[in-house]
Amino acid sequence: MAARVPPPSPAAAEAIKPEKVDYMDLPCPIPYEEIHREAMMSLKPELFEGLRFDFTKGLNQRFSLSHSIVMGPTEVPSQSTETIKIPTANYEFGANFIDPKLMLFGRILTDGRLSARVKCDLTENLTMKANAQLTNEPHMSHGMFNFDYKGTDYRTQLQLGNGGLVGASYIQSVTPHLSLGGEVFWAGQHRKSGIGYAARYSTDKMVASGQIASTGMMVLGYVQKVSEKVSLATDMMYNYMSRDVTTSVGYDYILRQCRLRGKIDSNGCTSAFLEERLNMGLNFILSAEIDHKKKDYKFGFGLTVGE
Amino acid sequence: MSSRVVLKTKGKSTKGSKPSDDKSTSKLLKEWSTWTMKKAKVITHYGFIPMIIIIGMNSDPKPSISQLLSPI
Repeated sequence: MAARVPPPSPAAAEAIKPEKVDYMDLPCPIPYEEIHREAMMSLKPELFEGLRFDFTKGLNQRFSLSHSIVMGPTEVPSQSTETIKIPTANYEFGANFIDPKLMLFGRILTDGRLSARVKCDLTENLTMKANAQLTNEPHMSHGMFNFDYKGTDYRTQLQLGNGGLVGASYIQSVTPHLSLGGEVFWAGQHRKSGIGYAARYSTDKMVASGQIASTGMMVLGYVQKVSEKVSLATDMMYNYMSRDVTTSVGYDYILRQCRLRGKIDSNGCTSAFLEERLNMGLNFILSAEIDHKKKDYKFGFGLTVGE
Repeated sequence: MSSRVVLKTKGKSTKGSKPSDDKSTSKLLKEWSTWTMKKAKVITHYGFIPMIIIIGMNSDPKPSISQLLSPI
């Protein structure tokens, strides 16, 4: 006689069934400009060449000053295929004020270049952001204003920049994992306009994102979270006007005392970036970028003091 | 003989003054907006970081000037 298996209890049956999706209650999507956020964070660390020393001094919970010294060769744009580097040394002074409703960030270099960022929450859902890079040279300064509105399951953004730049973007959550968005922009000075679309699918273990624009740019990215400490990422940038494609594959190890990111490119360029926490508030950074095709080798080291 | 030439050019300028009035209001607006943008750029360039420092020094808990200037 076959042993009778008791039927599973109703509670267990509920757990086995997939959760019913409530399409009226979807999560708010990631902002449109951060759609490739995970891939960018893993594959594009801030590589540098030479010495970098950053000192951040907090005067207050919200207010801090920063002093930064950078010494090393900087690339100068040149017409020939050779890269021309000129050794430069810069001191940069900065002030940050971070409040839940207002964030001010300013940095000024010894040659007079100011970079400023302002983020202000006008209401609970409406945010104004402003970004400016001002120089003493005429016609080389840029400024941009963004107005973001966050809805229950969508976000919209309006951008106004100098040179008659106007842009708008919209992104909507379609399912709990998938969000789709689009953008249009018009550059008055250059008389150019463009339209673009983006999509992002994310789960706990992976994030896949794609973006295509009428300027000819197509970007696809995929990040897989292999474990709590290890992520692998890959991305592909394709310009269908100039038929130029670049693919890169990289890893991101987030360990207790350090963060190591490495990547290899289809242009024959490999790079690695290590941030090691020596002590509370003391970080040691190493950066390396080897470009075999252009025969350009960049190595940098630095120290970051403060949060 | 030269005075005849002068009279002719005067006549032309009186006819052309009306349309140039309309042009000048939009030109004035453009000039004003360019002037304000230039002044705003200079003010932001020199005053943004001092403004952050003033806002920060007035937030709670108030830090002192010695904390602002010392490197510790």
